[in-house]
Amino acid sequence: MKWRLRVVHTTGYRYATAVTQSYNEARLTPRHDDRQNLMVARLESVPATRAYKYTDYWGTEVNSFDLHVPHTELKVIAASVVETTDQPEPSVAATWSQLRSPEVLDAYAEYLEWTDYVPKHRELAAVARSLRKGRTPEDTVLAVSKWVHDKLKYQRGTTGVHSSAVDAWQAGEGVCQDYAHLTLAMLRAVDIPARYVSGYLHTKPDAEVGETVVGESHAWVEAWTGQWWGFDPTNDISIGHRHVWVATGRDYGDVSPLKGIYSGGAATAIEVTVDMTRLA
Amino acid sequence: MSRSSSRPLFDGYLDPRRPHAQAYDEMFDPVDGVRTAYKRLHDSLTPLQPADLTTRAEALDRALVDQGITFSLSGEERPFPLDLVPRVITAAEWSRLERGVVQRVRALEAFLADIYGEQQIVADGVLPRRLITSCEHFHRQAAGIAPPNGVRIHVAGIDVVRDEQGDFRVLEDNLRSPSGVSYVMENRRTMARVFPDLFAKHRVRAVGDYAVHLLRSLRAAAPASVTDPNVVVLTPGVYNSAYFEHSLLARQMGVELVEGRDLLARNNVIYLRTTEGDQRVDVIYRRIDDEFLDPVHFDPDSVLGVAGLVNAARAGNVVIANAIGNGVGDDKLIYTYLPEILKYYLGETPLLPNVDTYRCWLPAEQTEVLDRLDELVTKPVEGSGGYGIVFGPDASPKELQAQRRRIKANPRGWIAQPVVQLSTVPTKVGERLQPRHVDLRPFAVNDGDDVFVLPGGLTRVAIPEGSLIVNSSQGGGSKDTWVLAPRASGEDAELRGPGLGTSVRSDSTSTPERGPELNVAQQQQQQ
Repeated sequence: MKWRLRVVHTTGYRYATAVTQSYNEARLTPRHDDRQNLMVARLESVPATRAYKYTDYWGTEVNSFDLHVPHTELKVIAASVVETTDQPEPSVAATWSQLRSPEVLDAYAEYLEWTDYVPKHRELAAVARSLRKGRTPEDTVLAVSKWVHDKLKYQRGTTGVHSSAVDAWQAGEGVCQDYAHLTLAMLRAVDIPARYVSGYLHTKPDAEVGETVVGESHAWVEAWTGQWWGFDPTNDISIGHRHVWVATGRDYGDVSPLKGIYSGGAATAIEVTVDMTRLA
Repeated sequence: MSRSSSRPLFDGYLDPRRPHAQAYDEMFDPVDGVRTAYKRLHDSLTPLQPADLTTRAEALDRALVDQGITFSLSGEERPFPLDLVPRVITAAEWSRLERGVVQRVRALEAFLADIYGEQQIVADGVLPRRLITSCEHFHRQAAGIAPPNGVRIHVAGIDVVRDEQGDFRVLEDNLRSPSGVSYVMENRRTMARVFPDLFAKHRVRAVGDYAVHLLRSLRAAAPASVTDPNVVVLTPGVYNSAYFEHSLLARQMGVELVEGRDLLARNNVIYLRTTEGDQRVDVIYRRIDDEFLDPVHFDPDSVLGVAGLVNAARAGNVVIANAIGNGVGDDKLIYTYLPEILKYYLGETPLLPNVDTYRCWLPAEQTEVLDRLDELVTKPVEGSGGYGIVFGPDASPKELQAQRRRIKANPRGWIAQPVVQLSTVPTKVGERLQPRHVDLRPFAVNDGDDVFVLPGGLTRVAIPEGSLIVNSSQGGGSKDTWVLAPRASGEDAELRGPGLGTSVRSDSTSTPERGPELNVAQQQQQQ
């Protein structure tokens, strides 16, 4: 299946008192690869500003901008058109001993390490090891994702932007960011290199051309089992034409969609909307 | 040294029962007596009586206090103890050392450019990728930042020691904000005031023009489009232990000394706020650690730095000196790969050898380290100031056990070295001169064309008998370091002309203004 999608992502902050200076980085531009073709992308902000673009260490396109006019609300609108296809089945399958070879351990070291979001945890590692028994690395990825999907209840408000995999697991609830971190923590515990993917999900499988649906700012994982391939533990589905990817990294901290520093009163996030329209 | 009565100062100097008796003494050869480099100095010192020594030492202390040279030790300001016996390095010794330092800086420049660029050395399998990615000071924020003239190590402090044979070896590289050069200049100024007679008998190469070289390097680093670069020195503030140095360098270069709140980023350009409006800044000689430099990319709670600075550098509108992320080049595990790095980038072998080092992250070497923990020195791979170092021979079994656990828990974080019996130089202890262990930190300044090495550097001396720990933060002192000019050279020698201790004054009359504090981070959860 091949889709063409327009994504309009609106996000930002409202401030208790006027902000006179703010410095921000947006990681909101979809990427280009053999599954996804970026046709056009644009970023706007209110108040208006000129963004500086660069590609970061992880290959993500970053729009950096600063504001020096007093404002009580910052709105960022990222619009893009992308063509997407379904992810092909992984064609190379590494064995467990290949995954533990010095070459693989060295090449993918960053995706095997523990972070604040993806900490080492004895019990989670024990569960991951039990899921690995009798399975290939590929099947283990699916089994871990399924376990995470079944273990967590999708619930907003329980966890926050700084919650770790363990926090979510202990709470038994979370959002896609938590599903992804928990899956990463378990995959890394059994030596499968795994990374965080930030992107969007179109929520209606049978959408008509021209129909606009409410999409989601989404997150899922990619694992390396001979090659990189993705899986969506929040929904327990493969990566397909409804997924639009923006960035990959070790965890959320590497791909944060919008982050910044400002002077002034307390900020609350404005309602994030992601409008996704199937164009073809 | 039995002729003690005629030379009271050196009474019992080379006592064979002294600790670390194998160490190389820089003044005395155990067989041939006084080494050539020290002949004149020795002859000047010998007739002195203990009382003369005390009088001179007091004069020296007074001069230091007058000049306001202090350092902070555990929060307390003290005069930095300057020993009255200088350390002497001959022209030939210096020339070898200088070439070794220059070679090292060139190789490390190439290494940093590669690591924050294509990482070809990793792609070619010369260094493991994990070596780089696991380095605490490998800052991914700096990837892709290409300084206009390619220089990242504007100032390096390469710490060297002399081993039992008297050969110089590199102990560690300092590529971030090496400090101490102000002591080099101030020690010289003080010594010249108190001992003009000694300088009259030696051709000592001058150190007073360091700031000229530093300013040249900083101006050369500016974006190519800038004809008259505006350089500033960025300090964390008056409470920093090296604030004296920051202000001295700014004064000598005739540039503004600023704090983070004096600067402002707008559209990726850095401005200095002044009462006369905003002045564009082209080069920032910063003495703030990477982690506090820009709250957008590093610690969001830091108020020491400048929000937006990293991307202003990325956009090529300002140059940060030294560059962000240089710590990957002075990591002590990466240090052990210096021979490979030199060979890869320069096709050369090291002119200055490292100290033999065991890498705890390699299982075989870790086993050996753990077996010999009580005879080795173990050091954290990052950090300086002597913190975290465990001297096996001095450690209690309990301390060794704790160290064993630390190494096993984090093998990447530790290296081990045999105890190097650092060379000794006569040092005033009580009313006599005693051998005390020293190291040396030469300072190198890279302007993109040439690497200048300030003749000499900071000699640090461990005052307690037998101590091999020379850091000022561990209570050490310093010595004026004399590099002798070659016999027939036209090099400027101290006290041979004008220029000693002179400085350019800033002609700017504007005062900095301060902006609001930026310290609130905002981020949204992905749902």
